[in-house]
Amino acid sequence: MRLLKRFLEQVGSKMDPEVLSIDSKRFTLNQELERLQFSRRGLVYAGTYLGWNRRLFEPGSPLLQMLAAEEDTRKVHLGRDAAWLFVCGRDVFEENIRRVEGVLDLGRHYLVMFDGRCIGYGRYETSAGIRVIRNLFDLGDFLRREGSD
Amino acid sequence: MVVSREETNKQFFLDRYRELGHRLTGDEKTPQAIRVNTIKTSDVELLETLTSLDIKLAKVPYLDHGYVVEESGFSLGASIEYLLGLYSLQESASQYAAQTLAPNSGDTVLDMCAAPGGKTTQIAAYMDNRGVLNAVEINRSRVYALMNNLERCGVMNSLVYHGDVTGMKLGTRFSKVLLDAPCSGNYVTDPGWFGKRSIEDVHRNAEIQRRLLSAAVRHLEPGGALLYATCSLEPEENELNMEWLLSNHEVFLEEIDGLGEKGLTEVFGQKLEIEISKCHRFWPDTAHTQGFFLAKVVKR
Repeated sequence: MRLLKRFLEQVGSKMDPEVLSIDSKRFTLNQELERLQFSRRGLVYAGTYLGWNRRLFEPGSPLLQMLAAEEDTRKVHLGRDAAWLFVCGRDVFEENIRRVEGVLDLGRHYLVMFDGRCIGYGRYETSAGIRVIRNLFDLGDFLRREGSD
Repeated sequence: MVVSREETNKQFFLDRYRELGHRLTGDEKTPQAIRVNTIKTSDVELLETLTSLDIKLAKVPYLDHGYVVEESGFSLGASIEYLLGLYSLQESASQYAAQTLAPNSGDTVLDMCAAPGGKTTQIAAYMDNRGVLNAVEINRSRVYALMNNLERCGVMNSLVYHGDVTGMKLGTRFSKVLLDAPCSGNYVTDPGWFGKRSIEDVHRNAEIQRRLLSAAVRHLEPGGALLYATCSLEPEENELNMEWLLSNHEVFLEEIDGLGEKGLTEVFGQKLEIEISKCHRFWPDTAHTQGFFLAKVVKR
């Protein structure tokens, strides 16, 4: 749970979910599933997908949307063009950030938002003298996974 | 003149369809369609967004949340809204299966051959993301597609198993079961279909489907409903399997209404139980969808 906890702290979340692990994937169960006595044999996915442990914790889309609904999490909001470039794997130039929730501090992590929904996250840093939100994960991953599955 | 296998097959299958009452050309198409994911958004909200992007959509009258794409300047499978799971690409007839099963949040549902998950996510939406939705898939590589779809669409009430559902003990019986059976498919959604398929494939698939149907009935609670669906036009995988099911299990059929036609009660000279007419067929020439078959089966 160490990587998940670290990720939640990085984006300013106070969430502390009950976690079910299936291999390197992390899930949390709603009350109905939690009450259920279900078979674990052959189980590959259960309830709400939080993400999986790679070198870093890679959040799943349901977790990102839960974090987007939290008031305390740090967020940067983008317009459509910058959001599109972000889901294509690009970093976000500071000038393309429309609004910030929290304070922009170098080295901190931010949820990247479009139209009230979270499309990924990144770290605010300087790259070749330019300040950017460096893309650490974006939802374009769904399309990249289709190519590699 | 040498006639290709594809041409021979095409004539063979078109002759069969003519005998079943439909003069098909083999070139029928179905328009691209989307389904609004009501777990994450509403029809009104999504339509407003997509219209602002110059996408023209038309409501499919017989679907709850289905729209055909009349015009789009970009691929709808690669928009930000798609990645956010606000909609899925799902052919119209295919959307009718989960809609006909009509699960709700009080149900315990089993989706037996769930990948790639279009119908699974639709079922979750009908259940308001509550209740319990078990999804099983035998093919490992297709399990990934299923999990990706559940994640993208924000499904939170599912348990997904990798394995053979016919031998699986899931520890409960289900009030609703969807068997979207592996089948021969049809030429509308697969342009190379006539070159790939033979009547032997159809018979082989029908055998597999009967095994799955028996398992489906076993997984159902008494009074529970099974929705059997194929995207095959072949009666061996459809009406003849239902005739077999009625003779071998304690079940009955419920009428399915809506666009499309009744199930066939005479197939290549063989008379079937009149009850089979309660099944439902989408023919590409009259429904303007892919070929599709639905049967709603209730366990006594």
